Amino acid sequence: MDFTVVAKNIDFLILQGLLGFGNFVGGTFRLAIPAIVLGFILGIFIGLARLARTPWIRIPAMVYVEFFRGVPLVMVIFWFWFIIPLLLRVPLPEYGVALTAFVVFEAAYLGEIVRAGIQSVARGQAEAAMSTGLTPAQTMGYVILPQALRNMIPALVTQFIVLFKDTSLASIIGYVDLTKAAEIVNNREIRPFELYLFIAVVYWLCTYSMSRYARYLERRLTPG
Amino acid sequence: MTYQFDWSVLWTGQSGEWLLQGILTTLGISTLAWLLAAALGTVSGALRTVPFAPLRALATCYVEFFRNVPLLVWMFFWYFAVPPLLPGPLQDWLFNHGAEFWAGMFALGVYHGARFSEMIRSGIQSIPKTQFEAALSTGLTTAQTYRFVIIPIALRLIIPPIANESLNLLKNSSVALTISVTELTFQTRQIETYTARAFEALTAGTVIYLALCLGIATLMTKIERRFALPGMIGRVASAEH
Amino acid sequence: MKKMLTLLVAIALGAVTPAMAETTLEKIARTGVLTIGARTGSPPFAFVDAQNQWVGFSIDLVEQLILPTLSKKVGKPVKLEKKESTPPTRIPLLASNAVDLIAETMTDTRSRRDSVDFSLTFFVTGAQFLVKKGSPIKGIKSIAGRRVAAQQGSTNARIIREQAPKAQLREFPDQPAAFQALAQGQVDTYTNDGIQLAGLKAKAPNPRGWEIVGDFYSYEPYGMALRKGDADFRGVVNNGLMEGIDSGKFFDIYEKWFGPKGELPYPMSPDIKKFMIYQAVPK
Repeated sequence: MDFTVVAKNIDFLILQGLLGFGNFVGGTFRLAIPAIVLGFILGIFIGLARLARTPWIRIPAMVYVEFFRGVPLVMVIFWFWFIIPLLLRVPLPEYGVALTAFVVFEAAYLGEIVRAGIQSVARGQAEAAMSTGLTPAQTMGYVILPQALRNMIPALVTQFIVLFKDTSLASIIGYVDLTKAAEIVNNREIRPFELYLFIAVVYWLCTYSMSRYARYLERRLTPG
Repeated sequence: MTYQFDWSVLWTGQSGEWLLQGILTTLGISTLAWLLAAALGTVSGALRTVPFAPLRALATCYVEFFRNVPLLVWMFFWYFAVPPLLPGPLQDWLFNHGAEFWAGMFALGVYHGARFSEMIRSGIQSIPKTQFEAALSTGLTTAQTYRFVIIPIALRLIIPPIANESLNLLKNSSVALTISVTELTFQTRQIETYTARAFEALTAGTVIYLALCLGIATLMTKIERRFALPGMIGRVASAEH
Repeated sequence: MKKMLTLLVAIALGAVTPAMAETTLEKIARTGVLTIGARTGSPPFAFVDAQNQWVGFSIDLVEQLILPTLSKKVGKPVKLEKKESTPPTRIPLLASNAVDLIAETMTDTRSRRDSVDFSLTFFVTGAQFLVKKGSPIKGIKSIAGRRVAAQQGSTNARIIREQAPKAQLREFPDQPAAFQALAQGQVDTYTNDGIQLAGLKAKAPNPRGWEIVGDFYSYEPYGMALRKGDADFRGVVNNGLMEGIDSGKFFDIYEKWFGPKGELPYPMSPDIKKFMIYQAVPK
């Protein structure tokens, strides 16, 4: 075992692979953070749509969720990779392909979490809020969503961690994230054990701190 | 030059055979990995709730380490880093008998075992402590309490999330294509490269995955109903991915 | 589910027509960008070097010979963009407009010509086997029952399947994984085009521990692939290459990568040199 290979390429692995500064389009964080934010926003809409009374909204949302939960992410990435350049007339960079694929795919899972979170808030709450004169939108915004959000934090963070790890699959289409950066260095140095162990630890540090923070948040937000 | 669809590529030549082989490999690797994951998940999930601290710590380490690192990295790990540590004859045997399949199976099984474990733990912990005490007070030992009371109840509570997670396992088996396991996604791409028909091949793969997932989901719902304890179903959040 | 798929396909179909109506040259004239597909792990054709720069023989040919001709043709400077392509992905990438030209180590074959067009041949090699020194494998005749790694979607994999059905073929999405498997003994040999094996061997931590064995069991002329039926773009690519051969610049670039001081010393045989010169038709 010889970890100098990691030391020698640390700037490439961290700057290019993890953060996305360098010659290549890449960066795990640069992909994961927007994907989490946008995926969550889309997920809220999908979760709300799944609870809508109108079937015109509810059924498409259900089909969306069931469809994307029924196919592997790898497949979805390939679809977007080949279809997007056909839809737009300009070849889209890997970043756009990967981001779209992650947002669309993860929103299906996040939508389910949002739905479960909203359903976990007791019905009486909504009725009570409405009876004080709040509109349905106000009830959702001020009463239901804040409580639902607290209930869904554990599932939500688990999903964010999944998404964070899933970004490693963007390496399959040549997006230079942490995994791809390690692969590129490995092509040259042929030191898989050291390199993959190193990135495993980096991934672990990121995801573990996410889950610790979630636990802290959960405790702080749990009333009395 | 418009894209001309030619669906016949899916059944002419070797494509049909490839797809069938892909389905079988996907199902095979997923089933074995599922069994491994279920065993690891049950044991470590139960261990995480026992009073004896070292066992709890061991199980926690396993779970926290394995589920927090991407599956793709684990694939490479089990395929490239583990075999050199094995004794020579075993290595040889393994390499002659589809090492990539076994490595992929272990990667999937151990990774999802850690994720199963979390669900099983929260299932067990959602059982009121009084149940445990009540069982002990009837004269059962701790082991017996787990075996006859806690685990049977917990298993039923966790069926919905486990069902979801099992589908994830099936879908995640596609990542094994990176270590040359000839599963469904691999074969889909094989057709793609041999026929240059990306749309047809991807559509075939997607439809097959959907069919498999919907089929299994239906089966799981049936099992869930069959073993349901009155008033206890769906108490654990099932939306986890 | 079915509706969703139909919809998806309909969207794709609807969008294909206008996108495809534009020729590659028109697209390049509009965007000012030529997007090529290249490898990241196939030294010295296309790879990421120790300074983490994406370089190689195929990339230089595009940059120094084709880009100037192309810029002249469309009347404005054209920028080069590179994307990673691998054997399983390169034809879909081309077909879907994600890249305009595949410039790596792709063999021109008759069956591939059903789906893509090729430029002139810019390199000639043949498939061989890379083994650990002292291996009993001596060529395609001695691989029955052996574990043979190949790249998924390569011409070599297809030939092994047909000519040595008793070999245990393992196909990897990319070269490094295949070489890794060989280095650790998961497979007994890795088969690829001789020149690529030589590149791998030269880059390996212990070059002397490896041997390239066997006669060429295939003929692998490398060409640059482009979308089928795009004669104008193909003309520009070929003109660029021919002008390079005429002016000698092509051979200078060859020297840079394969000369005695190059990345991988591999002198051009007189036959091949003649073949290259004959490919450049008169003005």
